[in-house]
Amino acid sequence: MKAFANMKLAQRIQLTIITLMVVLFAFAGLTLNYFSRTRTISNAIKEANTYIDRLIDITTLIEQKTGKGLSSNDLFELKPYFAKPAFNRTDYPAIISKNGEYLLHATRQGARLPLKTVQEIKTLKSNEGYLNYLDITDDNTEERILVYKYFKPYNAYFTISISPTEVLEQVKTNRRVMIIIVILASLISALVVSLLLKPIAKQLAHLSVRLKQLALGEIPTKVKITDKSELGNLSESLNGLIDGLKSTSEFARQIEQNKLDFEFKPLSKNDQLGMALLQMRESLKRAQQEEAKRKEEDNIRSWINTGLAKFGDILRQNNNNLNLLADSVIQNLVNYLDANQGGIFMFKDYESEKYLELLSAFAYNRKKFLQKTIMLGEGLVGTCAVEKQTIYLKEIPSDYIAITSGLGEATPTSLLIVPLKLEDEIFGVIEIASFNEFAPYQIEFVEKVSESIAATLNSVKNNIRTRELLEQSQQQREEMAAQEEEMRQNMEEMQATQEEMQRKNLELEIITSAINQSLVSCSLNDDGYIIDSNIVMQEMTGYSKIELEGKLLESLIDETQREEFSKLWKSVLNGQSINTTLHLKGNNDRELYLLATLTPGFDPMGLLIKIFLVGHDITESKKLELMTQQQAKEIEKNIKRIKEEQEISSQRQREMETLLKALDQNCLVSIIEPDGLITYINNKNVEVLGDKKSDIENHYLQDIDYTAKNKPKEFERFWKSLHKGIKQTREFSLNVKGEIRWVLENYTPIMDEAGNLYKIINIALDITENKRKEQELNGVIEQLKQQLKK
Amino acid sequence: MPSQRMQVTDQDLQYFINTIKSVSKYDFSEYSEKSLKRRLQKILEDYNLDLTSLLTSLRLDKDFLEKVVKEVTVNTTELFRDPPVWHLLRSRILPRFKNNKTINIWHAGCSTGQEVYSMMILLNEMDMLDKAKIFATDLNSDVLEAAKQGVYKYRFNLGYLDNFDKVIKQNPLNFEEYNDVPYEKYFDIDKVRDTITMKKFLTERPIFRKHDLVVDGNIFFAKFDLILCRNVIIYFNYSLQNKVFELFHNNLYPKGLLLLGMHETILGPWASRFERLGQAYIKK
Repeated sequence: MKAFANMKLAQRIQLTIITLMVVLFAFAGLTLNYFSRTRTISNAIKEANTYIDRLIDITTLIEQKTGKGLSSNDLFELKPYFAKPAFNRTDYPAIISKNGEYLLHATRQGARLPLKTVQEIKTLKSNEGYLNYLDITDDNTEERILVYKYFKPYNAYFTISISPTEVLEQVKTNRRVMIIIVILASLISALVVSLLLKPIAKQLAHLSVRLKQLALGEIPTKVKITDKSELGNLSESLNGLIDGLKSTSEFARQIEQNKLDFEFKPLSKNDQLGMALLQMRESLKRAQQEEAKRKEEDNIRSWINTGLAKFGDILRQNNNNLNLLADSVIQNLVNYLDANQGGIFMFKDYESEKYLELLSAFAYNRKKFLQKTIMLGEGLVGTCAVEKQTIYLKEIPSDYIAITSGLGEATPTSLLIVPLKLEDEIFGVIEIASFNEFAPYQIEFVEKVSESIAATLNSVKNNIRTRELLEQSQQQREEMAAQEEEMRQNMEEMQATQEEMQRKNLELEIITSAINQSLVSCSLNDDGYIIDSNIVMQEMTGYSKIELEGKLLESLIDETQREEFSKLWKSVLNGQSINTTLHLKGNNDRELYLLATLTPGFDPMGLLIKIFLVGHDITESKKLELMTQQQAKEIEKNIKRIKEEQEISSQRQREMETLLKALDQNCLVSIIEPDGLITYINNKNVEVLGDKKSDIENHYLQDIDYTAKNKPKEFERFWKSLHKGIKQTREFSLNVKGEIRWVLENYTPIMDEAGNLYKIINIALDITENKRKEQELNGVIEQLKQQLKK
Repeated sequence: MPSQRMQVTDQDLQYFINTIKSVSKYDFSEYSEKSLKRRLQKILEDYNLDLTSLLTSLRLDKDFLEKVVKEVTVNTTELFRDPPVWHLLRSRILPRFKNNKTINIWHAGCSTGQEVYSMMILLNEMDMLDKAKIFATDLNSDVLEAAKQGVYKYRFNLGYLDNFDKVIKQNPLNFEEYNDVPYEKYFDIDKVRDTITMKKFLTERPIFRKHDLVVDGNIFFAKFDLILCRNVIIYFNYSLQNKVFELFHNNLYPKGLLLLGMHETILGPWASRFERLGQAYIKK
């Protein structure tokens, strides 16, 4: 079916019609054939019946001749009638017994009908009729029709077996003719149909090709118009469509090529596409105009925006250096405006004087601006600054400004002066000169840029100021911190110094107080006058403080020492510290000795301030020393003498020893302590006075002495005198064993170095006999005394 | 801040001293207690620490300890500080060494070095710089570094120029004398940068070393003609002062001089071992 659906229309029609014809013809033929076969066979059966009836007639006749029943006579008689086929080649009549045995048959005498066929006949129970059966022989099996009729006398059936094939032999010929007729009729009708359809199909194919091309968007060639049928109309419309499309597409192509003035008529008033194209052309025209306008505006806007961005960048860079910034700004501005020269002035308010200062210039060569500052209101620039309005001049005084190049000098045609202002505060002025006129948008641009420049100038100014302040404050802070630390350290040093000084002062105070309590101290000026003195000095010299002040130290010094002193004084003034012993004359010519240190005091520069004298009063010890010295001298003398006398002494030694012995033998010797304790008595004492040693020794004189007991006052005087170092002599008589003995006692006090009583030696003589030796003894006593002292 | 109100007690101070002594070679035990107490107070306030955390940090952090030790020390000095002393040096002390082949000078506690440079300037003016060997020491390595640089603030130290004028240009003993020595001979003044920068021939001359007077003794293999130790011993107690005097005495040449600060004097056992020459002490 698919193949059919794909077929062309003409082919489809042809195929359909031809097929339909063949089927119809075939059906008619087959129907005819069937009917003729049936008829033929029934005719054959009828004819067979008729043939059987004739045979039965004959047989009946024979029967009558031969007797009843089938006998061989009958068979013989009948045989010729059955020897030949009835109508066709094989339809031999036959007599068949009830059990199907061929009783008489030309060829099959004695054979049998198939059992099935016999039973069928039986079951039919009719005496005559026909039935189809299968004739089975040795060679083949054939369907045959058995026509039968019962013949009572013989109790057998008269039959003829018809072969349908043989019967239908004639009908077959008819059929062949009929098939030929059918084929012919089909061929003729197909031819007619195809002849009718061919031109239509051709035209349709043409249309189809073009429509297909149209569908693909191509513009096909026109179609030939062959007739005025519907197809003709269709072709005509197609041609119209093709024409219209051609011109419309040409129009569209022209629009595409932007030829918007191309002549074009729409196909009709209702030509949708054409009208649409026309409208499109119109709107395209409008759009193009708008586009051109917009482009111009865009250019301006982009010029402005690019410029603003560029100057934004410029202003962002270098914003810590005004001069660099100004250079960069004016140079770029002049270039960007395609102008020729320009200058940027900065507003300065310096100590209440307001003026504009040329900050930077580009290609500037203007006589007027050899001066770099312009007062407010002076000239165009000054005016611009005052009015805060843009000034744009197209006619410039020829001497106002000139643009110089290698080719010469010329006055520019236009001059633009724009204030640099921000919120109505003026920061400066920009002046630009050009050979071209400035477009309004350029002026507007310069004004906009000026605002940015003003803002930047402001912020740069502020930044610089802020940075300065910041740096300043940072530095100040750091300095403050460093200074604070230094101050703290200074404080600490001062405090430590103060403490150290306090400590030292305390120490000095202690030293001073110790000095003042024990040592002589005074201070002198460099001329040797006493400035100050302590109480020890005052006490020692016997002068008051006031008396001492202003006194020359030298005047206190013993005359014998003055020369030596002035030498010492000089070395003290030279910075030396001197230790010496000063011999002073105090008040009332008191002899004073001072072991003194003279120390010069200097200021930090090493200049002499005063001289300190500190000394120890050694008068006493000096005196002792002197005495000792004297004593030493004396001792020396004595030693000398002793030495001189040593020999004599040694010579006298024996004598002395003898003498001492004699003394011991002749004198009564006792030693008494200062408190009166008798520590020693010699044997002579015992011998003369008769007292036992133990009675006297370790007894106090005052307890045992006669005078002390009886004349206490006298004893007291005697004792005191001894204590004062005065020798005492006593004479007394004593009754010893009945004999009066005179004893002369010589009490000699012995003083120590300090002049105190040390011991008392009593040497008593028995003067009873020896009064005359007294003198001599006294000398010996003296000598003894000396020796004891040593 | 509680630490601000907390006064450092004697015990606190003792803990502080002991801690430092136990973890480092620094020994503040013989420093002047009052002064050290104030320094400790200051450190506690500056770092906003209490004593316990300070001591912990000292134990754990060597760098922090160094920092604290530096803060303990006081570094005050100026160019030609106390001009009279410099006059004394000029007129009475340095002339004594005129005929020496070399002059060994030790600035003990040189701080940021102004005294060292003052000395060199004065020596140079007296044509004696060539024979001078300058040794400078301090406990604080930071100030030593500053001393080596020889760069000082200008504005804050305008007094330096005054002192310079007083010592170098003028002569107090003769007011008519005036030596117009330009500052540029010895240092550059940059007013913008606010600096006074010592010339190279001065900065490269001295030998700067870190040194602790308390423990280090004499680290130079030399004896000295002149030792300057100004405003140092005020931070020491009596015992340490005497130790330092002994150190100086032992390391001075006979007739060598010791110069102490304006208010520092030798009292005690070492006094008799020195003779005075104005502010200076001469080794007997």
